[in-house]
Amino acid sequence: MTQWSYHSLKEAIVRHRVWRSAFRRDMADGDLGNAVRVVGNVFLHLHPVKVRKDGVRFWYTLGLGGMSFLLFMVLTVTGILLAFYYVPSAKLAYQNIKDIEMVVSYGRILRNMHRWAAHGMVITVFLHMCRVFFTYSYSRPREFNWVVGVTLLVLTLGLSFTGYLLPWDQLAYWAITVGTNMATYAPIIGEDIRYTLLGGNIVGQGALLRFYVLHCFVLPAFVIVALAVHFWRIRKDGGISGPEEVAVPEKLPVATVPGKTYGLMEIAQGTELTVERDPADYVFTWTHLVPKEFLAAIIIITILNVASVFFNAPLEELADPRVTPNPAKAPWYFLGLQELVHYSAFIGGVLVPFLIVATLFALPYIDTGNRGAGVWFAPERKTQNILFALFVLIMLTLIVIGTFFRGANWALIWPW
Amino acid sequence: MNSPTRDINARPPHGKPTRRGFLERLGKISFFGALAGTLTSSVRFLLPNVLYEPPTAFPIGRVEDFPPDSVTFLEDYRLFIFRKPEGFYVISSVCTHLGCNVRWNGDGEQFNCPCHGSIFDRNGAVDRGPAPKPLEWYELTRLGDGRLQVNTRRLVNAKFRFKA
Repeated sequence: MTQWSYHSLKEAIVRHRVWRSAFRRDMADGDLGNAVRVVGNVFLHLHPVKVRKDGVRFWYTLGLGGMSFLLFMVLTVTGILLAFYYVPSAKLAYQNIKDIEMVVSYGRILRNMHRWAAHGMVITVFLHMCRVFFTYSYSRPREFNWVVGVTLLVLTLGLSFTGYLLPWDQLAYWAITVGTNMATYAPIIGEDIRYTLLGGNIVGQGALLRFYVLHCFVLPAFVIVALAVHFWRIRKDGGISGPEEVAVPEKLPVATVPGKTYGLMEIAQGTELTVERDPADYVFTWTHLVPKEFLAAIIIITILNVASVFFNAPLEELADPRVTPNPAKAPWYFLGLQELVHYSAFIGGVLVPFLIVATLFALPYIDTGNRGAGVWFAPERKTQNILFALFVLIMLTLIVIGTFFRGANWALIWPW
Repeated sequence: MNSPTRDINARPPHGKPTRRGFLERLGKISFFGALAGTLTSSVRFLLPNVLYEPPTAFPIGRVEDFPPDSVTFLEDYRLFIFRKPEGFYVISSVCTHLGCNVRWNGDGEQFNCPCHGSIFDRNGAVDRGPAPKPLEWYELTRLGDGRLQVNTRRLVNAKFRFKA
């Protein structure tokens, strides 16, 4: 009689022809195993086998880029699930959302998760940008990846804005009415932009369908392409940023075995061992980064789940073109701009957003100096850091004013 | 003896037209022409030719439906009908700033916008706030059957009065 145990069962499975066809290699322990686990896995080989020790410190990156990507994945999954019950029709959309809220099993939690993950992604992408700025990580050779990152920020805002209309409630309808009217203040092509975006002159069926297509297909496709470039370039630009090497690495003459390179084995960068740059500065991704990412993912998904059980995404009455709620507010991250729009639609709706985005794109090519990269708040970069902090502070102040201190007729009120 | 073969990659002296150069140019022009055509038609595709939006000219009722010296808000059409001793006139309720519905404040004889605080006087002229233009005035006519018709495509100035 064969003694069946967990171990023998596992052995039988992993030695089976079918299993071996999918996972060809044995996962040896030690350095080879650590390397193979990463390069031999299509999902993990995004990572290098080894990463710089400084780069995996939580307090250096705060994990914000990874969190943004995780939230994007959560949004993709929850979004696909919601799409099974949602029809982008002005007659049905609101009813569908009501059904998702009240009738569909777990529908309310899924919609809440989608909503909170979306808000979360706007926040993490923005904070990720702040981290990259304050550590001067966009210095040469990483200028272009900053440009890709700013593109991703704009796409994230676009995704959030287009998703805002889909519930077809009063909140959605008037936020989009105000938002798309801002476009008309753009010189020359303003009216055309609005007409194209809405597929007509009013926020109606045409606009709902267009926003749906942008939200579910067009913008996610652009995000996925931009993400691929963004991640690929991290590797190609020399891995995650860090403090400058102490000295120019000097080649260490080693007796090389023909046909064998250290670089290929990822023991050292390059083909030969170098001095002043200990292989010990690099650690295995599998043991030092993947567990951290996994833990972060679990924590974030747990927080999202709990938040989605207790806090509901807003849903007001059915969209009514006849009645404007008082006050009518844009999504919170645009309230800073709406606050400016209150003074001048052209300045707040066109000029300031254009200047912000244009400046962000140009930043790595203006702010050159290549000193103080890879550390937080480098003393050499006091001026730049203060200016950027000021910009962030002003934006936050305007958002807080627009969110809490503006009431009926956009008059100043106290929030309590 | 010279070899009868010639170097097919050899370039002729600069400026001299060649079959290769001509074909290259033809290819580039065709490629970019086709690309421009595809892009243009794709963008044009996105601009709808037929709109299923509410009509821009519509009857609003008879003279006697509006009491003398009154202001009536027709929410479906987003406009105010004024009946004053000197005649009828129609003012749009769509704020010229960002498209919210303004409200008529009868006591102050002014329009208030709930979104960004614009204030318009009784004729729709901008009094205060971010609105760049006065509220629109629409033409009012009488149809053959006696009903009044508003045409939102035909704008009139603030002197317009329709004598019933």
